Amino acid sequence: MSRLDDAKAAVTDLSRPERWVLTVSVGFALFLLAALLTGGLGPTYFLFLVGLAGMYALLSFGLNAQWGYTGLINFSVAAFFGIGAYGSALMTADGSPIAGGLSPLVGLAVALFVALLLALLIGIPTLRLRADYLAIASLGLAEVVRLVVLNERWLTNGSAGVRGIPGFFAGWPVLSTFPEAMPGLRLEVVPGSPVFLETAFWQASLNVLLVLAFAGATYFVLRRAHRSPWGRVLRTIRSDEDLARALGKNTYSFKMQSFVLGSLIMALAGVFYTHLNLYVGPGDLDPITTFYAWVAVILGGSGSNRGALFGGIVIVAIREGTRFLNDVALPVDPAPLRLLLIGVVIIAVMRYRPQGVLPPQRELIWPSAVDGGGRPERPDSGVRERKGGGDGE
Amino acid sequence: MTVLGYLANGLVFSSIIVLGSIGLSLVYSIADFANFAHGDTMTIGAYTALVTFGAIGGLGGAVLGLPFGFFVALVVGIAAAAVVAVVTERLIYEPLEIDSIGLLITSIGIAFVYRALIQIRFGSDFTRFDIQPLRPIESLVPFGIRVTLHDVAIVVSAVILVVGLHVLLQYTDLGRKMRAMADNPDLARVSGIRTKRVKLWTWVIGAGLAGAGGVFLGLFNQLSPRMGFNLLLVIFAAVILGGIGSVYGAMAGGFLIGMINQLTPFFSDVVEALPIWPGWLARLLESLVSIEYANAIAFVIMVAVLLVRPNGIAGEGAT
Repeated sequence: MSRLDDAKAAVTDLSRPERWVLTVSVGFALFLLAALLTGGLGPTYFLFLVGLAGMYALLSFGLNAQWGYTGLINFSVAAFFGIGAYGSALMTADGSPIAGGLSPLVGLAVALFVALLLALLIGIPTLRLRADYLAIASLGLAEVVRLVVLNERWLTNGSAGVRGIPGFFAGWPVLSTFPEAMPGLRLEVVPGSPVFLETAFWQASLNVLLVLAFAGATYFVLRRAHRSPWGRVLRTIRSDEDLARALGKNTYSFKMQSFVLGSLIMALAGVFYTHLNLYVGPGDLDPITTFYAWVAVILGGSGSNRGALFGGIVIVAIREGTRFLNDVALPVDPAPLRLLLIGVVIIAVMRYRPQGVLPPQRELIWPSAVDGGGRPERPDSGVRERKGGGDGE
Repeated sequence: MTVLGYLANGLVFSSIIVLGSIGLSLVYSIADFANFAHGDTMTIGAYTALVTFGAIGGLGGAVLGLPFGFFVALVVGIAAAAVVAVVTERLIYEPLEIDSIGLLITSIGIAFVYRALIQIRFGSDFTRFDIQPLRPIESLVPFGIRVTLHDVAIVVSAVILVVGLHVLLQYTDLGRKMRAMADNPDLARVSGIRTKRVKLWTWVIGAGLAGAGGVFLGLFNQLSPRMGFNLLLVIFAAVILGGIGSVYGAMAGGFLIGMINQLTPFFSDVVEALPIWPGWLARLLESLVSIEYANAIAFVIMVAVLLVRPNGIAGEGAT
């Protein structure tokens, strides 16, 4: 890969917003590192934040596969997230009103299967609808799911939620005892403020490992899908559904596939959340989760997976940052403050940068025509290009 | 309670839903997007009325169990909702250069800002208007109807507002222009209608009615920062049922959805009485048609209507 060989060229190749985001991200990372080393930020809590950011990135990957790729306005993100969380929790928890006590892998499988069913159940009636009707209908159906979770006590334990959920790696050969087996460490980088790494830290690092695996796998599947002919059909549907239909594509079927794919990824985020938080309640299905995911996607840039990742980090900064703001400066309840920030971010993005901070570049162009490695695939007859559009070679 | 009792409750709740859905439908037809901030506009009306009523008090006499001061507060609430909506339109919506989906997403952000500001100022707890709760009207109790004079006041005020809107739409210049614009904005513009001004009045009327609906909702139930947002989907259900963009459809849809919502306990009585076999099916139906799912039933009706008749009962452009 030429980009890896020549990092300088890669930096100059970035667009202005990309450079801006890169600078801010590096600055933020350095700030976090400094806070970590001086003991201002507990390493366990830091890893919890990383896990949370990974989870929001997963959620926004899922939404991106629906809205960014195909243009489906899905306002039922919270329902799929909640189904993933509850599906896994009800299978694995000691306190589960049904089954319970099963391996988290069973929980994962059940959660994904139920999410698939729900996606079909919501998708079949609503995907034929006009865009804004789909938004309203999916929000309504998500509300129905929330009401069912809240009221069907025999199944979900009602408003009390489900407790006693094991970590994801419980029952695995080595990983289940890994946190206890690791010795406690005491690091002293800055004199006088040592940093302790204990069992909770190793537990948290396992969670980060898990979310990295989930998010990494999702990212590569989505990137592959986005560049495949299938992804091209989706993009065509987004920009002009009638055109796609005129080309003989069964747009309903493509929309359904994209909807199911996205929903499964959201459920995956829910499964991870269950084993990170070790408690799920009906509050997790609140519509605000849906709008967190939406903020992440529109902020990052619809259709862009890097953007989704960036959006996920910003969401965690908003969610956890308001907590600190509350401790340090303003005696305001963090909940409305968070809501206010989310609202302002939505309005500001739509006002000043509706395409998002990191919109996908050149996404409608054949990828091998622009990527560094694609030189041999360039048509030989590009005379004009060699004469006029030459880049100084 | 008897059927009559449920119907009476339904009438009161419907009045509130109708007030909310007319505004949503008006804005949908003229500004051309689904305004998710509409529910929170209702909340603004309710809280402004709460503050006003707290400041001016009862002002002596009373009509239908409501002190005069409450009606002043109602008017202030309507005005505040209208002003906030117009300012939002001018500051936020108008400078945007995006499609209706972008406007829809923006309106969600605006809804959050409204709600957050109310929550910061008033906290997230429930409050109510400082009015003595009334006993149900004695003469109606034998019929199984338990409504208070306040409920009557809600229905009467809603009827006055709706009739007023009807007169405005049918017999005034502004109403004709609004109908023309809802029908075909481009044609309206080339025929010399100042569409910008009409649009502004649409926002004033729609948000004002929403403000009134919010005040009445606070009187009917309680006030909380989430009150409007919680009602928003029911209102969407009503608007879609009636046919998006049709004001009279919104009235009909609001009436039906409000009725169905309040009749849920009656339906569950019916289901219980019916000889449904097998037993698990009966139990399932009973648990589904319970009061907890009153809103869910409205959403399911909404989706069903969208599937069968995407243009709603009144169809397209029947304003």
